Amino acid sequence: MIDIIATAESYAQAESLLNAGVDTLYVGGHPFGLRLPQALSLEEINRIICLAHSYGKKVTVACNALMHNEQIGQLTPYLSQLAEIGADAVTIGDPGAIFVLKELGLPLSFIYDAGTLVTSAEQVAFWVGQGASGAVAARELTLTELIAMQQLLDQPIEVQVYGPTCIHQSGRPLLTNYYNYTGNPGQVDKPDGLYLRDPKNPDSQYPIFEDQDGTHIFSTEDLSLVGQLKIMHDQGLNTWKLDGVLLRGERFVQIVALFDEARHAIESGAFVPESFCNRLAKLQPASRPLGTGFYLKNPEDVH
Amino acid sequence: MKKIENKPEVLAPAGNLEKLKMAIRYGADAVYIGGQAFGLRSRAGNFSYEEMTEGVEFAHVRGAKVFVAANMVTHEGDAKGAGEFFKTLQSIGVDAVIISDPALIVVCFNAAPGLPIHLSTQASATNYKTLEFWKSIGLERVVLAREVGIEEIREMRRHTDIEIEAFVHGAMCIAYSGRCTLSNHMVNRDANRGGCAQSCRWKYDLFEMDGGALTSLLRDDEPFSMSAVDLSMLHHLPDMIDAGVNSLKIEGRMKSIHYVSTVANVYRNAVDAYCNDPEHFTFDPAWDEEIWKVAQRDLSTGFYYGVPTEKEQLFGKPRKIPKYTFAAQVLSYDSETHIATLEQRNNFGVGEEVEFYGPGFAHFKQTVRDLWNEDGEPIDRAPNPMMTVTMTVDAPVEPYFLMRKK
Ligand code: SF4
Repeated sequence: MIDIIATAESYAQAESLLNAGVDTLYVGGHPFGLRLPQALSLEEINRIICLAHSYGKKVTVACNALMHNEQIGQLTPYLSQLAEIGADAVTIGDPGAIFVLKELGLPLSFIYDAGTLVTSAEQVAFWVGQGASGAVAARELTLTELIAMQQLLDQPIEVQVYGPTCIHQSGRPLLTNYYNYTGNPGQVDKPDGLYLRDPKNPDSQYPIFEDQDGTHIFSTEDLSLVGQLKIMHDQGLNTWKLDGVLLRGERFVQIVALFDEARHAIESGAFVPESFCNRLAKLQPASRPLGTGFYLKNPEDVH
Repeated sequence: MKKIENKPEVLAPAGNLEKLKMAIRYGADAVYIGGQAFGLRSRAGNFSYEEMTEGVEFAHVRGAKVFVAANMVTHEGDAKGAGEFFKTLQSIGVDAVIISDPALIVVCFNAAPGLPIHLSTQASATNYKTLEFWKSIGLERVVLAREVGIEEIREMRRHTDIEIEAFVHGAMCIAYSGRCTLSNHMVNRDANRGGCAQSCRWKYDLFEMDGGALTSLLRDDEPFSMSAVDLSMLHHLPDMIDAGVNSLKIEGRMKSIHYVSTVANVYRNAVDAYCNDPEHFTFDPAWDEEIWKVAQRDLSTGFYYGVPTEKEQLFGKPRKIPKYTFAAQVLSYDSETHIATLEQRNNFGVGEEVEFYGPGFAHFKQTVRDLWNEDGEPIDRAPNPMMTVTMTVDAPVEPYFLMRKK
């Protein structure tokens, strides 16, 4: 069974996503969820959970921040409330949060999500030993490695099949610091649409933004595995995540719907990768090139 | 306040055997090194098992410890051989290993039960529950993320008794350690497996995209960069010690002997001065002077007193920091004739101002008045690497004293 997970920015978008075929909605809020399209309140999360459950679908709530003492202190009531409103799972990347969850003994399963640090089956097995029901794979892995990992594990490895990926998180306000240095502090208020470019690589454009957790920089391309979905399915990689952190509204829903269609095509044996690639390219915003990141690289080529 | 009994350890980096010995001679209570595999500093000189054995013996005779960093984040297959590796380290007598990857932690537990494990800073430990978690797993110590403040450390200490190690000096990753893959994405080099190309220190354009239109946000030709100035907590050691830090870590396995000996010497002296008599402790400006002789960038207190501002990043022209070079090492000294025998490390000659320094924070300035070669013939300069020369010195020196010049 293929499981499609997608971020939701609002109740309205959650509803469209459910209609588009999503199995699990991924939502969250501050100060526990990292890099979300929109930080939602517990109340909004509650409404989305009720909605998803009425569709017979699930909701995972992001608790994957690197937490400082202050956050970890506030985590206990948050997790208790999430359990109460019926969240199906949380993502966690901070071992302290796992410790808190265990202490509380809540009926809340967690998916290990520590970004760049999830790179082998043995690591995931360690976190499964601590109670994890699955893990989100690092985007710096190749498909060869992902397949090898999944074959060694009973728990699902979540693979990002669409969207940008974070390649740098700093605890510092790097944009604010730059603006302050150049004497232009007013610019800090523009959170959207900012990019870095490496002058040695004129095609590069790395999205960058600042929030409570610091500064985040993303990949120059949106990852897409739409052409590889059948291979993934054949090899047991059936948990597909679509990340809409930088793509709001209806466009993201259409892309998710395309992946749902691809799933049905695979299940009925009618999947033509080229056609789905072409259709995705048409939906994709012109400013964001698509790419396969590390997925199709040879593991030997990355040192 | 009485003398502080639980003095924290001064922990220095050692890129090779010679640096290990120097760091310990100059006051380090412990050193951390890299083995031939599983570490993150593929370019720092790494230790063979033979060198490790010699290093551990040298350290143990002097009451010092040796930790081995095995802090890579493994991919499928990378952990092959790790069991043997940890077992060998244990039989050599290594005092602890520094690991961030739980897969390697498990291998180490199984292969070398009883070998203490320290959690590497790569795992970004930022709260007390995380410390409790690793304690419950069986780790002995946690190296904190560089993003924590002094107040946070104090609070951690109130909640847990696991050993806390924190950076006090050296270069800094501008990202949360382990959470930066700029190098992976830009040059196919895995930062978490030792390949970091320091992409954060490059210069970038910053622009805004609105529809199809691009607007540069750069001002005054100042490129966007993410380069951090270096960390130094030298002026705040009492805060670190009172907060309950057990190990004060100096960064820099790639750094020179000149650097490591100087920094270890200063921290040793400052930590002792404070712990021996906290009440009457005053900061000795000579520590600061010494530290600046090996500084490579501006220095700051990182996150310890708040989130770093633009002042703690490298923008504009780097400040000129006077450069000192390592000129010679003392081999022996004749107290009758006041003549020191030196091994040359950099060209120097008669008439030059030099400085000698040695363990225990000994240091004095000196003008080179005379110089003889190995055959006792007077010479003007010592131009050849590693050549042995003699000269008269104004104050007594000992083997392993070092000589630097501007
Ligand atoms: S590029 Fe910079 S911030 Fe990233 S891992 Fe390397 S040193 Fe750290």
